[in-house]
Amino acid sequence: MPPVVIIEPSVDTPLVWFDVAIRGGASADPRGIEGLHRHAALLARRGAGRRDRAELDETLDSLGAAVDISVSRDAVTLSGLALSRHLDAVVELAADILAEPRWSEDEHARLLRETPQVLDEIRDDDSALATRWFDWVCTPGHAYGRTSLGTETSIARIERTAAMELWRREVVADNLVVGLAGDIDEATAARVVARLVERLPTRPRPEVVLEMPAAPSTGRRVILVDKPDRTQAQLRIGHLSIRYGHEDTAAIAVAEAILGGMFSSRLMQEIRVKRGWSYGAGCGLRRSRLPHWFEIWTAAGIDVAGPAVALTLELFAEYAANGPTDDEVDFARSYLVGSMPFHVATARQRMQLAVRDAVFDLPAGFTARLPEALGALAAADVRAACLRCLRPEATVTVAVTTADLARPALEAANAGTLTVVDHDEY
Amino acid sequence: MMSSWQLEAEAPAGRGVTARRFRLDNGLGLITAIDRRAPIVALQTWYRVGSRHEKFGATGMAHLFEHLMFGQTESLPPGEFDRLVERTGGESNAATWVDWTYYRLSLPTRDLPLGIRLEAERMQRLVLEHTPVEAERDVVTNERRERVEDDVDGWLDEQLMAQAFTAHPYRWPTIGWMEDIRALSLPDIRAFYRTWYAPNNATLVCVGDFDEAALLDLVASSYGKIEPATLPEVARIVEPEQLRERVVRAPKPIATDRLLIGYKAPGQDDRDWAVLEIVATLLAGCPSARLYRRLVIEKELASSVDAQLTPFRDPSLLRLAVTAARGHRADEILAVIDSELAQMAAQPPVKAEVEKAKAIAETDFWTSLVDVDGKAEALGHYETALGDFRKVSELAERLAAVTVEDVARVVRSYLNASRRTIVIAEPESEAAGEDGEED
Repeated sequence: MPPVVIIEPSVDTPLVWFDVAIRGGASADPRGIEGLHRHAALLARRGAGRRDRAELDETLDSLGAAVDISVSRDAVTLSGLALSRHLDAVVELAADILAEPRWSEDEHARLLRETPQVLDEIRDDDSALATRWFDWVCTPGHAYGRTSLGTETSIARIERTAAMELWRREVVADNLVVGLAGDIDEATAARVVARLVERLPTRPRPEVVLEMPAAPSTGRRVILVDKPDRTQAQLRIGHLSIRYGHEDTAAIAVAEAILGGMFSSRLMQEIRVKRGWSYGAGCGLRRSRLPHWFEIWTAAGIDVAGPAVALTLELFAEYAANGPTDDEVDFARSYLVGSMPFHVATARQRMQLAVRDAVFDLPAGFTARLPEALGALAAADVRAACLRCLRPEATVTVAVTTADLARPALEAANAGTLTVVDHDEY
Repeated sequence: MMSSWQLEAEAPAGRGVTARRFRLDNGLGLITAIDRRAPIVALQTWYRVGSRHEKFGATGMAHLFEHLMFGQTESLPPGEFDRLVERTGGESNAATWVDWTYYRLSLPTRDLPLGIRLEAERMQRLVLEHTPVEAERDVVTNERRERVEDDVDGWLDEQLMAQAFTAHPYRWPTIGWMEDIRALSLPDIRAFYRTWYAPNNATLVCVGDFDEAALLDLVASSYGKIEPATLPEVARIVEPEQLRERVVRAPKPIATDRLLIGYKAPGQDDRDWAVLEIVATLLAGCPSARLYRRLVIEKELASSVDAQLTPFRDPSLLRLAVTAARGHRADEILAVIDSELAQMAAQPPVKAEVEKAKAIAETDFWTSLVDVDGKAEALGHYETALGDFRKVSELAERLAAVTVEDVARVVRSYLNASRRTIVIAEPESEAAGEDGEED
């Protein structure tokens, strides 16, 4: 089967972007070998065809081009950027990475040494650390709880042969979504796609079975990630909710806008504007192929971290139970429909949204047609979706802060049983 | 009587897009660039006031306005500004840096008149009262905690500027020192607004799908009657030449050493700025860059290295940011950087290497002009910081003209240890007793 192909021509700059999404992603890492997809993809980028890593980097840079790897829960993506006059040369290099990685022993060993240091950088960054912990503890047993980066232990278990086998299994034409945008016409795009996949196996894409918990978790929990010398608490509060593409997607888009998706949203007004407790507060449903987290985020001064958690949970419970008012729904719908042109203004944006829809196995144009779905929603639909999809009684709260100072107030926040962990233990 | 426009300049701003600057009688500048690829507009209002225009002891004032300007005006109750913008589907934001403050509206084309009305309103009729000012002061102190006190990169950045500059106002942080933010008085805040928020200190930039003639009429009718302000003379402060290396070390709760090094560099309008931009790319601006290859790949002394040349009006810094790899220290990294720079000065890069950096610069130039917001930001920055939006294209031409000899010359001229400042954050457990400054 050929890959799914998306083309968005535009001549406003002499640039071409291409994304090659390989379905699978970090959630398909084997248990205990978290980080394998990332490792395989980065290793493939470190030498391919007749070029080793240095030669590949030098060639791309000399063309003013870039080919980068990103890893999400649902896909590994090879993203290219080229001046259109150099497109053929850059595509040739990307095709080498897809079809003929060198799997250098030296680069494998170097990457095993490098990756734990990315963990260090996350531990140095309170916001990234809060997100990493929240992902891990939100819903035990869920595939999206797997870290795409891995842990110290799982990274050490990664073998080069496992990376090679993963690439051989998953990098087949049928498993790819290819997007092209920019200074490229349809005929050139067809030639580029053919070049990208011509050396890839033609067998069907592999089946990916992802872990899901047998039942959603219940009860509230707090994980206090203890880090010294903090003046704030980085907070994440949420639970497992629906998948992007679920029948409640449009209603939850409205719901999240009202609760925390705009400056005039409830969380922003109550936490920042009325109380000055934080620089910002927001919420959102993580967009993914499987059911994912509904997450609230803020960072409050350490002296008000407990009250901020208590207030957030109170607001969330009230909102889940009663939903938004008719006026709020009208306002948010107007905002979301009106904002759509900004999300599809450039060829690259349109291409990336379409690639994402394809990776999520959604009908073509699903996101682009959301304004129609939003227009058909009644306020009662949004309130009903809040009742179905928001679960304030089952929230997990992660707070990255200094335990000595914040613990008593967090324990009094009615956020559930509190566990203290050290910031560098995960 | 309707104010009249003067067309002052026009120049390309990307493929098929022409930017034009008009001036109103009261001094207001307007830059237009029509791009009909989507039914949206980027409307940005750039004020020639940034942290460099603050007084010592009252730092953070310019940035505080980035918050206050979304508040109550004489005709808009609190919160109404954001509600009006959000109802359209648009977004608003603002940014402050050393040389400027700008306010950004992204709007559907049909709502451009609303944007003009809102911007004109808050230029002249902002209400500055005790309660909302105190609320925003709290928000800003929390912003500072998040971005500086609890963020090692923010701390490094702040310390670098504070140590590298001894006289120029670039030495204080744009967000302000915490004690200054807490002490800014309401009369001083009101005076700052009256001084700097005026048509003759601002440029509107509008990029997107709109009717230019209608926009000119609309802006003239909305702003034409606003009186210009008497702008204070901005003292030209020349930073004394740095003659010795400055080093600061401090313990932080981090895993490995982090370094931020700043070499004194010229202002963005200087002919050497473009050459140093190429040098920054050669050092750490791409996967095959010299320092990246040496520090991260070959010697594995660092987990990351980045180079940035700050785009300031006055002389500033070429910055190298490095995170040490596990088991390695800042001093090992500094030794490699010194060795690499010495080699670059002694033996200039070959032409192919310079051409590589120029190809990357060409891609970066076009990338910055992909969407209407990016175009507006580029036009607004060059107009406000350097006095002429046409310098967007001029810089691209200057980058394309850089030679091997230029590179060799500026490496020798600027990248000397005596002209640099180094800030090092060290893991707390390993840095006991090492806190302090060296000079």
